[in-house]
Amino acid sequence: MRSDQRSSKWLKLAAIAGLLFLHLPLALIFLYAFTTEATSYQFPPPGLTLDWFEVTWNRADVWEALGLSVKVASISTVIALVLGTLCAAAVSRSRFFGREAISLLVILPIALPGIVTGISLRSAFNLADIPYSTLTIILGHATFCVVVVYNNAVARFRRLSASMIEASMDLGANSFQTFRYIVLPNIATAMLAGGMLAFALSFDEVIVTTFTAGQQATLPIWMLEELVRPRQRPVTNVVAMVVVLVTFLPILGAYYLTRSGTDTAGAGK
Amino acid sequence: MTVAVEFKKVSRHFGAVKAVDEVDLKIDEGSFFAMLGPSGSGKTTSLRLISGFDQPSAGSIHIFGEACETAPPNRRPVNTVFQDYALFPHLSIRDNVAYGLMVRGVRKNLRHQEADEMLSLVKLDNFGDRKPAQLSGGQRQRVALARALVNKPRVLLLDEPLGALDLKLREQMQEELKALQQRLGITFVFVTHDQTEALSMADKIAVFNAGGIVQIGTPEEVYHRPRTKFVADFVGSSNLVPPQISLDLGGQSCWSSLKPEALTLTKQEGAKVVGTVKSIRYLGATNRVMIQVGETELSALLSNTADHWTRGDFVGLQVKPGALYAMEENT
Repeated sequence: MRSDQRSSKWLKLAAIAGLLFLHLPLALIFLYAFTTEATSYQFPPPGLTLDWFEVTWNRADVWEALGLSVKVASISTVIALVLGTLCAAAVSRSRFFGREAISLLVILPIALPGIVTGISLRSAFNLADIPYSTLTIILGHATFCVVVVYNNAVARFRRLSASMIEASMDLGANSFQTFRYIVLPNIATAMLAGGMLAFALSFDEVIVTTFTAGQQATLPIWMLEELVRPRQRPVTNVVAMVVVLVTFLPILGAYYLTRSGTDTAGAGK
Repeated sequence: MTVAVEFKKVSRHFGAVKAVDEVDLKIDEGSFFAMLGPSGSGKTTSLRLISGFDQPSAGSIHIFGEACETAPPNRRPVNTVFQDYALFPHLSIRDNVAYGLMVRGVRKNLRHQEADEMLSLVKLDNFGDRKPAQLSGGQRQRVALARALVNKPRVLLLDEPLGALDLKLREQMQEELKALQQRLGITFVFVTHDQTEALSMADKIAVFNAGGIVQIGTPEEVYHRPRTKFVADFVGSSNLVPPQISLDLGGQSCWSSLKPEALTLTKQEGAKVVGTVKSIRYLGATNRVMIQVGETELSALLSNTADHWTRGDFVGLQVKPGALYAMEENT
């Protein structure tokens, strides 16, 4: 009895230590968003203030980077939704030569280190003489966003039995009606979950972006630059808080959408 | 009588596999038609050719006189009850049943009213608001039936309709399906590998084997007068009697079928055909006695009150006049 209590106490302690290890750095980032000391990380902070929020709000470069990040994430998510869902439909709905190979090729970009993806994209853009721009960032992000959407959609397509689509046709529906009333409602939550994860992935992506961006900076790139030449250091922390919230909410949403017995595959990169 | 479905030399080949090969078939309007055969015999492919999910490689298919080899499923006056029911999991039972009306643009209150009427026909009143996952296998089967029938098809296709149900439910659904078919007067075409199901429900049975139809006939014909050894073996528990034994028993000198209940045993003296009792199985009112006659094993169904035989007895065999039915020799 006593030893049980002791071991459960130790387990609790270990769990708390693990959680601290994971989240203390995050808490520190949040804390220093409120510090009065602008140039160094002094602990404890000499004072707390909300001024940095106002400063951040008034900085044009922050807005520019945030705008670009949202734009890139949105467009690459839309591209990923279309391509990933179509690809999942093709792979799970029909049998053709090389089907397994295609499935593997689609998933590969997420297994590759980002730096390999980045370098290969950069040389491809060079060869094709495509100037680095917002478009190239979007294309780069789309490569791994497609995988996330594909993985979610393909799992759902597998549960959608072929006879259900046949039943719809048999009952008089044309292809469009079958897609609209039968296929879409059954894969919608998987698409939404995949889309949210894709958005979150794109929003905080650094490596591929470094290789595919021109002069523009997405939010994570902007933060890296800020760390190198710090002016008003806590502004970075305020932005970091925003990034955490912006990426955390979609992931939470994806979790709740697919929790009812569906796999959310490929959630991490 | 109008012909509901007609196959003229219909073939469906998948590469070298002849799933259906030059099949001729006529299904009369208002009949309860069974396609019976082992798996891979072409019965399901034939059903899919009627529903439009598959197109023939050669030959023509007419549904109520109209050629429709290439018409898509949504343009045919037929509906299907799928083997796995294929209910739409995200729709309520009522919306499932009303689906066919919805895609045709029937107004909501009208189609819901018709769906409810159909649900009451299959004894599922008050189930309209539930989801398919909340129903039992037998209830889903009824929903699938209602969903197909609401479109007022001229032919209803059923793919192994009772395969997923347990024995008791299956027997109950057999009776209900039969009653429903008689009440509605619609042509029912169903695929099954279960001969008792085919025999008890159908007006007519087509026995499939290896991509072709071996015999078409009423249950009585198929059961009592199988045309080939395959039919005799697959449909009934008929004895297959080799030519010589058939001749000795008073039949023709060719392969013949013989129902176990038409075979009687006598004391050995004076019999032209003799054998040894190999085993006796007690079946309640009757005993099933297996008799070894040379190379052949025959089974007899004997009343319990008749003479008692024991294993190893030498017996003479007799058959009732006309009980031996000559079959085509090939296959």
